[in-house]
Amino acid sequence: MRVRSHVPELIGKGRRSALRLLGIERSEEIFPVLLEEVVALGHPRALVAGVNFENSEITPVASLNCSQTFLQRFHSSLFAMETPAVQILHSQHPAHVHSRSKRGPEFYYYPLIYRNRTACWEAERSRGGKCIAVENFHCHLKLQLQQQVCGVCEMRAYAAMAVVELKRGADEGDLAELRALLELANRYLSRLFKVEHYQNRMVDLETTITQMQTVMESMTDPVILTDPQHRVITQNKAAERYFRLPDEVSEGRVRAVELNNLLFSAALSSMAVSGGDSSRDMTLVDAIEGDEVLFEAVSAPSFAPDGRRTGMVSVLRDVTDLRRADEELRANYDKLRQAEEVVRQDRDRLNLVIENVGDPIIVCDRDAKSALIDPLAQELLGSQHGRSPLHMRNQAKLDAYITKFTYSFSDRESAPLQLTHPGTLQEVEYDARSGKIYDERGMVAYTVTVLRDLTAVRRLEQLKLERRMLEMEKFAAAGRLAGTIAHEVNNPMEAIKNCIFLLTDQIRPEAAPVYEILKGETERVARIVRQMLGLYRNTDQVGNFDVNSVVEDTLMLFTRQLERAGVRVEKELAVLPPALGSADQIRQVLSNLVVNAKDSMTKSGVLHVRTRLVSRDQLQQSIIISVADSGCGIAKNMVNTMFEPFVTTKGERGTGLGLWIVKGIVENHGGKLRVRSKVGKGTVFSIALPAAV
Amino acid sequence: MKRKCNILVVDDEPNVLLTYRLILQRQGYEVCAAISSEEARRAIAEQEIDLLLCDLSLEKQENGFDVIELARQKDPAIPAVLLTGYATPEATEHAQELAIPILFKPIDIREMLDTISELLKEHYERQHKAAG
Repeated sequence: MRVRSHVPELIGKGRRSALRLLGIERSEEIFPVLLEEVVALGHPRALVAGVNFENSEITPVASLNCSQTFLQRFHSSLFAMETPAVQILHSQHPAHVHSRSKRGPEFYYYPLIYRNRTACWEAERSRGGKCIAVENFHCHLKLQLQQQVCGVCEMRAYAAMAVVELKRGADEGDLAELRALLELANRYLSRLFKVEHYQNRMVDLETTITQMQTVMESMTDPVILTDPQHRVITQNKAAERYFRLPDEVSEGRVRAVELNNLLFSAALSSMAVSGGDSSRDMTLVDAIEGDEVLFEAVSAPSFAPDGRRTGMVSVLRDVTDLRRADEELRANYDKLRQAEEVVRQDRDRLNLVIENVGDPIIVCDRDAKSALIDPLAQELLGSQHGRSPLHMRNQAKLDAYITKFTYSFSDRESAPLQLTHPGTLQEVEYDARSGKIYDERGMVAYTVTVLRDLTAVRRLEQLKLERRMLEMEKFAAAGRLAGTIAHEVNNPMEAIKNCIFLLTDQIRPEAAPVYEILKGETERVARIVRQMLGLYRNTDQVGNFDVNSVVEDTLMLFTRQLERAGVRVEKELAVLPPALGSADQIRQVLSNLVVNAKDSMTKSGVLHVRTRLVSRDQLQQSIIISVADSGCGIAKNMVNTMFEPFVTTKGERGTGLGLWIVKGIVENHGGKLRVRSKVGKGTVFSIALPAAV
Repeated sequence: MKRKCNILVVDDEPNVLLTYRLILQRQGYEVCAAISSEEARRAIAEQEIDLLLCDLSLEKQENGFDVIELARQKDPAIPAVLLTGYATPEATEHAQELAIPILFKPIDIREMLDTISELLKEHYERQHKAAG
């Protein structure tokens, strides 16, 4: 028997039951009232067993006049198909079940399921959606209970079974009455179920709306929802700061807000025209702080479910900081570019300098690895493309030196380095000079090494030495010659001198002047001879002597001569350590220089004699004696030759040996003689003697 | 002084030798002149010499020291004076060791005469003391 779609007319008791059921407003109250009304019809007991779709269990949910043991019989599962009650539930056909024994009670099983003549709201809206309630009402499909879920609103239908123990002797009329009651109850239940479903949906929607509002409010960026006419529908707190008129009205704020609204509305209009999602920058005024804030407005149109355009959702992002950062970044970038340009120019300049230094230059990093090598250094060390064993050997030697320097504590260093020039295959002596470049943390960033080719310097030194040796040899040879001559002259001189002595007191008075000339000139020759021999006598003591006292002695010796020549003497004597050598020879040197000075100052002048100590280091100290005059000076062409023997500026009065001897003595003492002269101004002779250690 | 002092002058330059001899003779000395070490040796052997005035460098690589040494073999206390035009430091040192005054040519005649008379005086006084 199928469930009829029409409800039998309710009369008498039935009308009262219907009214009772109609008064129920909550679905869970339906079953107890239904069972009461069933029992009121005279049936001894009744129950409703509900289906739990979660676990497919069937359990009694309401009962009247039923014992626990009786109820226990209706605990079942949707899968227990052998049970008659479950079969009836699945078939959805009410059934009148007779007891096996003739006197046993008879039961009426009536399946209850969610069904309605009209579809749910969602199904109605979607037009064509299949509502489970309508499906069930028309019984188009033979439904599995497990599939009792609405395809449109995803609502799960309810399913239950009313079980009534029929009163004895119940006839067809009683059954019809009972069926009408049950059908009515199910209809009411379905309606309540639908209403409750909407109630639940509404609660859910409210919750969602609240959640969405919370989300919107919690956004720090202004969010504004506008209608198609760009009127604000809703906005969050962040937006209100800019677009809502404040409660206490101040003119400035009102104007700011009005301006903001105007700007925003204009922006929206233009974005609406451009269509789709778009973004736009705009400057708004913070109505509270009064600051100008740059916003990027991103707007998207909002649509109703039917595709109608309902307005725009705009999110404003404060990009003031971002833009400022962007500008700063751009400015910094420009600065960087400029700095880079300066650095590049510096580098180019430096490269130019490096290229033109003419010495190999190697720049290494903190790990002593080559960072920059100039072409000259590349010749020595080879390039990456071609390296001979010689290149590698040079590199190894250089690496050893640079590594040692890089990890040493000294800022600069220099060391001799023997490298082989790959071109000439010759050993070249280099003076490696290195310095360190530090980074801002004070760590070594780079080392710079310049290799100075000492070949030329060494050659020059060698030449100088050879020249000096030659000069000394010449001096010695000339001295030997002079000595020999002097010695040879000495014996006849001795005889002449003796003769002159023997003739004393035997000269006629008229011959006396001639005799005097003879005596004087002979003495002069003796002097020359003595001076020539003096160098080679070396008979005086060699040892430590005080230079200052030698200077004093010499000046004292010449006091009268200098006074007569109108020469003023200035002495400037420093405290000195002793010098090593022959005091007599130095006295001869000073005598020669003083006499020369005196002779250069024909009218009058100043003779300045000065001694001082120059320390190159602890071991090398030099005593400098300078003899300066304000005389006529020495002509340039004489300067080079005046130390040679027999060169004189004094004509007949000079022997031409004075400065030659001076030079010889100074050099024999390991000293140096320097002369500076300016014609008409004067001459300065400086003697540097090594101090005794 | 019972007799004139005899001075042996040795120099390889004849004119120098002659003038020394004349100068010394004028001073009242007995002078024996030798032009070579050969002559000097003979004179030392034959005569009684009181003082030697000897040039350092003589002919044939001979040396004033040799002559003085020879004379001192005969008379160890004999005074001597060396004359030289060119003295090496070694020679100077050697002369100092032997307590022989050394004079450099060109010689200051006064200095030479003073030295000679001084030496002779010392020598005489020493001999006198020794003789008692």
